[in-house]
Amino acid sequence: MKKLIIVTILVSIFVGLGTAAIAAEEVNLYTNRHYDTDEEILNRFTEETGIQVNVLKGDSDQLIERIAREGENSPADLLITADAGRLHRAKERDILQSVTSETLIQNVPDNLRDEDNYWYGLTMRGRVIVYAKDRVDAADLGGYEDLISDQWQDRIVVRSSENIYNQSLLASLVAIYGEEWAEEWAAGVVDNMARKPQGNDRAQATAVAAGEGDLAIMNTYYLGKMINSDNPAEVEVAENVGIHFPDGDNGTHINVSGAGVVKNAPNKENAVKLLEYLSSASAQEFFASANYEYPVNPEVEASELLQSWGDFETQDINLTELGIHNQSAVRIFNRVGWQ
Amino acid sequence: MQLLKRLKKASPGWFLMTAGIIILLLIPNLNIIINLFGEAGENWEHVRDYLLVNYFQNSLILVLASGLLAAFLGAGLAWIIAAYDFPGRDFLSWGLILPLAIPPYIGAYVYQGMFSYTGALQTSLRNNFQLNLSQSYFDFMNLRGAIFIYTIFLFPYVFLMTKAFLAKQSASLLESSRLLGKSDSAIFFKIILPLSRGAVVAGSSLVMMEVLNDYGVVKYFGISTFTTAIFKSWFGMGDLPTSVRLAVMAMLVIFVVLFVEKLLRGGRKYSYSTSNIRPLSRRELEGGRKIMAQLFTYGVFFFGFLLPTSQLLYWSFLSRGGELVETLNFAFTSFLTGGGAAVLILIGAVIIATTARMSSNFISNLLARITILGYSIPGAVIAVGILLFMLQLDQVFSFLQMGFGIESNFVLSSTLVMLIFAYAVRFMGIAFNSVNSGYEKIGKSYFEASRTLGKGVTETFFKIDLPMLKPALMSGFLLVFIEIMKELPLTMILRPFNFDTLATKAFEYASDEMIYRAADLSLVLILFSAAAIYLITHRRQRRKK
Repeated sequence: MKKLIIVTILVSIFVGLGTAAIAAEEVNLYTNRHYDTDEEILNRFTEETGIQVNVLKGDSDQLIERIAREGENSPADLLITADAGRLHRAKERDILQSVTSETLIQNVPDNLRDEDNYWYGLTMRGRVIVYAKDRVDAADLGGYEDLISDQWQDRIVVRSSENIYNQSLLASLVAIYGEEWAEEWAAGVVDNMARKPQGNDRAQATAVAAGEGDLAIMNTYYLGKMINSDNPAEVEVAENVGIHFPDGDNGTHINVSGAGVVKNAPNKENAVKLLEYLSSASAQEFFASANYEYPVNPEVEASELLQSWGDFETQDINLTELGIHNQSAVRIFNRVGWQ
Repeated sequence: MQLLKRLKKASPGWFLMTAGIIILLLIPNLNIIINLFGEAGENWEHVRDYLLVNYFQNSLILVLASGLLAAFLGAGLAWIIAAYDFPGRDFLSWGLILPLAIPPYIGAYVYQGMFSYTGALQTSLRNNFQLNLSQSYFDFMNLRGAIFIYTIFLFPYVFLMTKAFLAKQSASLLESSRLLGKSDSAIFFKIILPLSRGAVVAGSSLVMMEVLNDYGVVKYFGISTFTTAIFKSWFGMGDLPTSVRLAVMAMLVIFVVLFVEKLLRGGRKYSYSTSNIRPLSRRELEGGRKIMAQLFTYGVFFFGFLLPTSQLLYWSFLSRGGELVETLNFAFTSFLTGGGAAVLILIGAVIIATTARMSSNFISNLLARITILGYSIPGAVIAVGILLFMLQLDQVFSFLQMGFGIESNFVLSSTLVMLIFAYAVRFMGIAFNSVNSGYEKIGKSYFEASRTLGKGVTETFFKIDLPMLKPALMSGFLLVFIEIMKELPLTMILRPFNFDTLATKAFEYASDEMIYRAADLSLVLILFSAAAIYLITHRRQRRKK
């Protein structure tokens, strides 16, 4: 009996190996997204086009590293990952290729795609200020630059600088105001922190609700997740905080999760088709709302929840800048001791 | 004697197979270490100037504190279980190994979830008692919290080894000290702890390696350590040389700690055993001390297993469970991969251990060192070493295929072969140790008798050694199986298309801040590992009877 089990296991493994090498009309997708709705969208794509989608999920940075190491033999066709800074890094690692397609140019606005069309944004989020409704007057809040004023002494909570979202925020400030200004700003925020950076974005909103701090810097979609949480206490937290889209001198910092066709894509045509499909009006609605994000396609409206937060001005830069200034942002964080 | 020596050496087949496996194990490691001798990465100076001190401090504190606390906790519990009798003792003797079934990163998510402002504890304090305490009381995401997580979920390594060691010790030493009127605490500190120091240190060095290599907990808690730095400089800055430098420094931390311990121990040998082994007789506890022992042991069981699993059950209930079919699917993949890989790894370990037994001490020590190498290097670092190796192999293959005019796009680097190979590199040491300790128990006399009777090495192995080795093989298999079930970095980096295990899926949900959805996956994962632990411990007991 035992021998039988062992033999069965071994046989199934090798059968599993064999099936990995079947070629049909297919596209290989490397993605960091793992929402259940994605599966549905991809299934629909297969139904419409007959192209089978093979998915490899993983941590964004590790996927990039894997494609780079796989080099010419990489089976990867399309890479989906969050944060423009990271997409730019993929471009710099020379693993993406430029793709021009009228559909894509039409569906994705100028500032939300790479200058040379190496990657296209698919969903958009803002990095906003969340405040304690009972202790902060929304009128006191302005742009990011106001966060370093003395009135917020020991009142700000924010996550660690290891996080790419903070790096991209600072990179955007470097792009707009220059490195020197950005370093002063980062040092000022560190001075105003209510506690050492810790936890994820959700934990920052919770800290505000719990009274550990009065302001938190976080991404919009986390609030969406909290409002729809299974945990009633978390829903309560989300209801007790207000959301402020930084205005001031410049607008709110936005970022995208996006996709690029891999340089040595064996199924390039299919990859472009999938990319076009994901940016199309019919897919955008689900694709964005799966993660409580804004669709990039201007024809598609944001979900009701997101609309209820109101309209906002965005920073006036091309998101490629986030990647260009990432290194200097990381170094500034380390120099000013933003952990 | 001369004859025996000649007989031992006459086994080129075994030796060749071992050499082949060892080379395979070494290549990915070498692929990485070679980077050390290149030029420093462009970020090295920046890392050194601004970050290194912080990494070093945090890693050192985590490794030392968790190693020490786990040593005391594990040894103390092992002593209580080995020396006393009280209600529940039989259950706890394996129940206290169960915390090992919970991967530390899941433990961290659970405890943080419980203690946070929105967690069960504070919510009920607020709602039922109108208590709104300062958040600093509940602050869990710091060094102290991480040390607690590592200690409570990893101490079973020390517990297991010390318990096994104490079971082998003669009772006479203890009985003499009891007769001489030593108190129980004096016996523990003056006799048991020094006596079992080797076992405690072995267990605790496993704990320290796990802590140093852990990525999930420190990443979630936002603590900078060598491991987060390795990930940061490699995957964040794309700077492999810098991250290899950090990996080597991290290994040095462990070696220094172990070396200092060895120095302190000096040449002294603490193990004491007489030829006539009469196992320790357990003393029935009474009154206050019975309650104390129960409180302590059950308390550890509560925090290490019962509380976290109950919380997961509750979350799973809140999220109305995931899709059953989907969960079963992941469980099936995990089970099949874990089981299949563990069988292959065990076969490799048996080949190496059999050769080691026939070789000189020097060679067999060397083999032991090499097999454990993969366990002491961070998983992510090994992962890329293996990826590089597989890609090189693929190039050779495609070259051959072109030579023979075969049209095929089969590549190893996108199949399960790569992942299973990675598991082998990482966990061969664990399997080897199990097989080796099995061989040590059997001794060499049967083998030598069979050989002098004219049987070949291979025939002797299958007819004599293998049947006697069975229990060791079984526990080796289960240990490796548990490790693979919990394994994260290798699986995340090296898995093929459309491949999800319980661990990767649970981690995806959890790191996506959807801990509720991760709950039922985590529970199934814990169930598998707990079942494996039950099998290991209860096989042993059956044999005793």
